[in-house]
Amino acid sequence: VYSLIDIPTNSNLGIWQGEHFMSDNEINTNEGGGFNRRSFLKSAGVVVAGGTLGAGLTLTQKEAEAAAGPATPATITSYRCSIDRMEFNTYDMLLRHYDEAHKGAIHPVTVKFKVNGKDQEVLIEKNWTLQRTLQMKLGLSGAKQMCDRGACGSCTVIINGRAVLSCTTLAVECAGKSIETVEGIAQNPKWKPLIDSYCKWDAMQCGYCTPGFVVSAKALLDKNPNPSEEDCKQALAGNICCCGTYPRHPTAIREAAPLITGGGA
Amino acid sequence: MKPFNHKDAKTLAEAKTALAGGKAAIIAGGTDLIGQLKDNIFCQYSDGRYGKLKAGAVPPVYPETLVNIKTIPGLDSIKEEGGMLKIGAATKLSDIAANKTINQKYAALAQAASRVASPHVRDMGTIGGNIAQLHRCWYFRKPENRFPCVRKGGTQCYAMTGDSRYHTIFGAVNMCLAVHPSDVAPALVALNAKIVTDRRMVEAENFWDVKNPGNTVLAVDEIIKEIQIPTPPTGAKSAFQKFAIRKSIDFPIVNCAVMVAGKESRICLNAVAAKPYRATKAEAVVAGKKIDEKLAEAAGEAAVADAKPLAATKYKVQIAKTLVKRALNAAV
Repeated sequence: VYSLIDIPTNSNLGIWQGEHFMSDNEINTNEGGGFNRRSFLKSAGVVVAGGTLGAGLTLTQKEAEAAAGPATPATITSYRCSIDRMEFNTYDMLLRHYDEAHKGAIHPVTVKFKVNGKDQEVLIEKNWTLQRTLQMKLGLSGAKQMCDRGACGSCTVIINGRAVLSCTTLAVECAGKSIETVEGIAQNPKWKPLIDSYCKWDAMQCGYCTPGFVVSAKALLDKNPNPSEEDCKQALAGNICCCGTYPRHPTAIREAAPLITGGGA
Repeated sequence: MKPFNHKDAKTLAEAKTALAGGKAAIIAGGTDLIGQLKDNIFCQYSDGRYGKLKAGAVPPVYPETLVNIKTIPGLDSIKEEGGMLKIGAATKLSDIAANKTINQKYAALAQAASRVASPHVRDMGTIGGNIAQLHRCWYFRKPENRFPCVRKGGTQCYAMTGDSRYHTIFGAVNMCLAVHPSDVAPALVALNAKIVTDRRMVEAENFWDVKNPGNTVLAVDEIIKEIQIPTPPTGAKSAFQKFAIRKSIDFPIVNCAVMVAGKESRICLNAVAAKPYRATKAEAVVAGKKIDEKLAEAAGEAAVADAKPLAATKYKVQIAKTLVKRALNAAV
């Protein structure tokens, strides 16, 4: 469990030469606006491997909101050079700094998108995936990094209505798009029956894959409010659970389906 | 991933300019490319432990720029006009699988698109990317270029002495045993599609007709624009069959697409050779005849008559034979 609740640090991400990483401390203090999963777990007083969902435990509305709406500033307050860590007040100043100090280096870009209905602006490297941006910049750790190659579905998010894999989506390509993560679904009262049903049927063991399953299930119920068991199997075919909880997912989804009504998208 | 630049192309001409020089790569769905970049399969590593590159060989390099073609307007449309189905290169596979016209008239393509990887990948991956994806071989795709194989400009094929259970059954091309893993490709060959790039039109059959290290006939700054499929003759039926170890998120062990249209029948297997393999001998068996169980079986036998399997891929011959039979039965 310890390794699951630990945010990936330099040791397993910093394999490429020339890429710049934040240390764990920096994520805590600078990037997530003072919020990250560790502090959430502390404040919630539970150890939940899946981040937002735990076996036999339903989230209170307050907890769900805490997970979905970290105190991240919606706009960038300081533009930091990723090579020498100097801070600037505007993007133009940062670009000028790159021009003077790191000629020819690839500079970070600003990207605006909507995450769980809230407009966000982030300063990121062009080679950052959406999964990494959500986790490192917005403190949304629901989309999990597992295989990191688009083969397991743990990082599923909904972009413009399509359930896609955030580990193989470049964050720069999400500019102007609307992104829904598991935190937004957990926070929305409309989808509470789905979360409750997942908890009731205990459709998880270690819970690491569960956020991905929930997002896929939500995308399915958006398109098909009354899915058959076969529909559920089809829609969840891209999610892998190494604990083998597969048979419970269609049961949980089909039980929740008639209870999901209104209350926003 | 190593740092790279990223450019949103607004027009094909803009994308072509950005690609010139060979130091950029196209990104559409990104499902294949991002994996390659994360695994860094083309890194310049070679300390001679596992082999060396040929003298003078120029292996592919890590792209300096990714050119996003999803932002080009009109590249993701499906329309039927002038006796042709025209599919934009950046059309998502899930859209193709769900399209009504394609399901009715070009069933093999719809079935093939619906069997690619997983629902999430189909919602990201595009048809152009699917046919232009790199070959599958675990030595070729080994992270950090641990095996500098012939496909990367090396001197040997590691599958020849190593584990080749998912490799070719129709012989090596330029010493390479890797197979093309696309599900959509055999459907396009069976449906007699044409691939339109920004400068020419290539028959689907010839699109992969290159020796390694090449993957497709595309030049470095050439972009697939459209896929055109002529409307099949009346009464024609097509079908697609795939065999993979897992039902979803898996590449085919063998797949097969057929179009049965009287004398014009076309049968194509994939994941059995470096390019989609058109089984002309099987086509001759079924040409102009009414297909029944026996004829389908004979066609299956004929399809693998030329097979030269490796010791580890003999089982694929049996699968190929059966898939041809099943696909023909499904298309009746």
